[in-house]
Amino acid sequence: MGSENSFDLQIPSVLGFEKVVVDFAASVGKVVHLPAERIEDLKTAVAEACTNAIEHGNKMKPHARVSVSFTIEESKLQVAVQDEGMGIGQATPPSLEQTMAGKKERPRGWGIFLIKNLMDEVEFETRPGRWNVVRMVVRLQE
Amino acid sequence: MSNDIEVTIHNKGDVAIINIKGDVTAVTAEAIEEAYQEVSLVGSTKILLVFAKECYINSGGIAILISIVSESQDNKQVIRITGLSEHFHKIFDMVGLTRYTAIFPSEAAALAGF
Repeated sequence: MGSENSFDLQIPSVLGFEKVVVDFAASVGKVVHLPAERIEDLKTAVAEACTNAIEHGNKMKPHARVSVSFTIEESKLQVAVQDEGMGIGQATPPSLEQTMAGKKERPRGWGIFLIKNLMDEVEFETRPGRWNVVRMVVRLQE
Repeated sequence: MSNDIEVTIHNKGDVAIINIKGDVTAVTAEAIEEAYQEVSLVGSTKILLVFAKECYINSGGIAILISIVSESQDNKQVIRITGLSEHFHKIFDMVGLTRYTAIFPSEAAALAGF
């Protein structure tokens, strides 16, 4: 894989900056000719991964960086979102039914649920105390 | 960097319409929750959430909407939704919200027979 096929950017851990990555993801999606619907899926997944990294991984410490890399391969686009924290793993899937049935605290875990449901492949890796990374793959049309 | 939201309320007949424009996230939750509490306080039982097409909705925002829909069931209110892009309609389907609230293609369609 040549470096000409990968792009990297970093954002501070401040909510709102995930939108910079979302715009970048949309541009990369266009470059690799993803259909409009898949670009929207990618934007949501990237936004959720970055928001998790800012909020849970880096605990909103502005100086802590969220690193995002986009790698274009022959049949797929891979996006890796890395923070400097412990990660939140794969989290228990949220239960809408429980919330509706009376468990009134605000439900959590929908971000990872969306990432898993919108992307073709998702992998979580944590090096405790050093970094946490979410790798997402969107398959490219042949 | 800010997260902006604009929430306004008006009525059409006995339907309370909450217009939402901007970022629907955990950060902006208060504005939506306040609007919902305001229409609930005056006894509205029919509530229409109108999202602007360019709304940015993330999982934090979805969690807020789930909480509001859940509370509306306890309050014997009916919530309808319109203005969502095709993508966010799919997302709402995915999380199961459409099992508890109906999504309409336009405000007129949402108000019809409400």
